[in-house]
Amino acid sequence: MSLGLQSFGPDTVSRWLSRVMWRLEHAFERARASDKPEDDTRIRIFFVGALFAAGFAALAIGATNAALFTDAGKGDGYAPPITSARGDLVDRNGELLAADLLHYGLYIDPREIWDASETRRALRSALPELESARLERALRAGRRTFVLGGLTPEVKSKVYELGLPGVSFEPEERRVYPLGYTGAHMIGFVDGGGEGLAGAEAAFNSDIHKLASGGQAMPLSMDLRIQAAAEDELYKGVAKFRPKGAVALVVNVHTGEILALANYPTFDPNAAGAAPLDARLNRAAAAIYEMGSTFKGFTVAAGLDSGVATPMSTFDARQPFQLGYRTIHDYHATHKVLTLVEVFQHSSNIGTARLAQAVGVRRLEKYFKAFGLTEPAKVELLETARPLAPRVWDDDAMASTSFGHGMNVTPLAVARAYCGLLNGGQLLPLTIHKAPPGARAKGPQIVSPRTSETLLQIMRSNVTGGSGKSANIPGLNVGGKTGTGDKYDPVARRYSTTKQVSSFAAVFPTDGPVEAPRYFVLVLMDEPKPDATGADPTGGIVAAPVAGRIIERIAPFVGVERRMDTAPFTDVAPHPDDAREEH
Amino acid sequence: MNLLDRRVRGFRLVDLVLASLLVALVLGTYLAKTMAGRERAEIARTERQIGEERARIRLLQAEVAHLEDPARLERLSVAYLGLGPVSIKRDLEPRDLTDIARTAANTGKLPGEGMPVKPHEALSFDPTGRAPEPAPEAPAQ
Repeated sequence: MSLGLQSFGPDTVSRWLSRVMWRLEHAFERARASDKPEDDTRIRIFFVGALFAAGFAALAIGATNAALFTDAGKGDGYAPPITSARGDLVDRNGELLAADLLHYGLYIDPREIWDASETRRALRSALPELESARLERALRAGRRTFVLGGLTPEVKSKVYELGLPGVSFEPEERRVYPLGYTGAHMIGFVDGGGEGLAGAEAAFNSDIHKLASGGQAMPLSMDLRIQAAAEDELYKGVAKFRPKGAVALVVNVHTGEILALANYPTFDPNAAGAAPLDARLNRAAAAIYEMGSTFKGFTVAAGLDSGVATPMSTFDARQPFQLGYRTIHDYHATHKVLTLVEVFQHSSNIGTARLAQAVGVRRLEKYFKAFGLTEPAKVELLETARPLAPRVWDDDAMASTSFGHGMNVTPLAVARAYCGLLNGGQLLPLTIHKAPPGARAKGPQIVSPRTSETLLQIMRSNVTGGSGKSANIPGLNVGGKTGTGDKYDPVARRYSTTKQVSSFAAVFPTDGPVEAPRYFVLVLMDEPKPDATGADPTGGIVAAPVAGRIIERIAPFVGVERRMDTAPFTDVAPHPDDAREEH
Repeated sequence: MNLLDRRVRGFRLVDLVLASLLVALVLGTYLAKTMAGRERAEIARTERQIGEERARIRLLQAEVAHLEDPARLERLSVAYLGLGPVSIKRDLEPRDLTDIARTAANTGKLPGEGMPVKPHEALSFDPTGRAPEPAPEAPAQ
C-alpha cells in the first residue's frame, strides 16, 4: 500500500510532506524508468558510504573524547595516591608540627593461607606488637580481616618480603607528631578516625580538613624556638621545685598570638591514648587557679585608670585592715604608709585592699569584667575553662579579689587581661593562629594608654626593686609581678598553709612607647616544694627566675635587643623581704 | 567519463578509494588507541613514582622535624658537646665593638673576660613521665 496525495489532507504542509515521501518511495522506480540503472547504484553506494562515514565519525569523536577528555582508563596499573585527611600543622616559621603520613594496614585472608602456623610464626616475629588474640581471630575468620594498622613503609616492606600468601596491605594515612611532647598541648591530637580532640587539632578541625585537599598547611602562632626554650626552662624549674603541675606562656601583647604554651606534666600526642588524663590536661586553658598577688596588677590598673590613685598616692599599711568580714594582713608587714609603687613592690595586701576600697565595689567589678576575668579566656582552644568569680560583688568579694583570692581563673585569662593592660589598653582575644605580618588586632579599650604606660613602669620597678628581682635580665628591662596564692583545702575547709600556687607575670621590654614590640610571659607552678635551700617556694623564688631565663633565651628570637636599663621609681627603698613576699 | 565511473582492473575507483579510506581509518584508530594506551601507562607509571616520591619526601620532612626537635638537639648538644644557649649578656651588636675596644684599651680587659661560665645542664627527667629515650652512642674516635 502506498500513500496517496489525498491521505494527507488539504493543507499546504501536508501536501508538501506527502510529495517528499512520494518522491523518496518511488526514487528507484523512477531511476529504472528513466533507463539510468547506474543512478540507482550510485545512490546506494552514496547511502552506504554516508552510513560508514557517519559511523566512523562517531567512533572518532568517541575515541578522541575518551582519550583526551575523560578519566576512564587513566588508572591502568596505578593506584591513585591516598589524599591526606588533614592538612599539616606548622609553626609560625614553617616548621612541621603535625602531618598525615602514609602508613599501611595489615589484612589477613585465611582462605588464601596454606600454612597457618607458618604465617602465625612469621608475623609474630616481624610484628612483636601484634596481639596474639587478634591474630588468632583473623586466622580463624572466614573472610579478609583487618589485623593491624599504622605500619610504616619500612615495617610493611619487612612483612611483605616474607612472601606470606593471604597477607595483604591497604594504604592509610596516620597523623604523626614528629616533635613528640614539644608543644603537645597547643598542637593537640586526633582520634583514630582523624578528628581533632584537643588543642589546635580540635580548634581548627574543619579548616584542617579543608586544607588537606589543597595540600596546604595551617600555621600556628607558636614559634618552635620559643616553645622549646619555655619548655626547657619550665621543666628545669619543675625538676628543682617538684610541683604537681606547671605552666609557661609567652604572648605577643599587640596581637594576642600565643608564641609558646608549655605544660607540666605533658604527653606525647603520638600516643595520646596511653597518656594519663592529668598529663593531657592543658593547665594553661582548662585549669583554674587562685592566682594570688599577680591579681594586684589588675587592682592597681583599675586604681590608676579610674583616677583614684597615682603611683605616688599613699596607703596606710601600718595596721591590719578590716573590710567586709575580713581582716587583711600583710605577710611581711612593713608597718608603714606606702606609696602605690611600694604597695606593688612589697605586694601589700592591706595597701591593695585600701586601693580597692577607694575604687569602689561596683567600679572594681566593672573593671574586672572589662579585663575579661569573669568569662572564659577568648581563644580558639575548645578546652578553655570558665572562671569561678564571686556571685555577689560586695566588700568581702572586693577585698579578696583585689589581691587574687576568691576568684579562680585560667592562666590564659590572666595572660589575656595583662596583655590588654600592657598593649595600650585594648583587650584582645588570644589566638593560636599565626597573624599576618605587621597585623595589630583591635579590641575594646579597657584602660587608657597612659594607665598602660604607668603600669609598665610600676611592673619594671617591681623587678628592679621589688619581689621580682630574680627575673631581671640586664638590658631587657623586664617588668613583672609575683604571686603566691594559698590553695583551698576542701577537706579542711580552709586555705592550706602548705599548698600554694606560685606564679610570675612578666613583660619585656617595659621601655619605649606603648606600641613598641612587647611580650608577656607567665610562669605558674602548682604546689611547688621547697628546694635544697628550704626557702618558701613563693612566686619570687620559683617562678620569677624561670621567667627571667625564658626571657633571656627568647629575646633574640623576637628581635628584642639589649638596651640601657631603666629603673623607674628608684627613690622607693627596697625591702629586704621583697623576694619572699606576698600571699 | 565520470570519475565515479572509472574502473581500475575491474574495480570501480570510488570503491577502491572508499575501501582504502576504510582500512586507513581502522588502522589509524588502532594505532591511535595503542599509542594512547602506551602513553597512558607511561603517565600512570610516572604519576605513581611522583606519588611515591611525595610520600617519601613527607616521610623525610617528618624525620627531619623529629631530628631537629629542639628538645632533642639540646639533650644531645649538652651530652656530647657541653654546649648550651648563649647568654644574652654575651650577645653583642657590631656597633658595640667600638665601645668594647675602648673599654679594653682603658682597662686592659675585654668585657665579660673572666666571667664564670655556668655549665649548661641537660633536663634530668622526662616531663611525660615515660622512661627517657636512650641517647645515641657517641661516634667512635
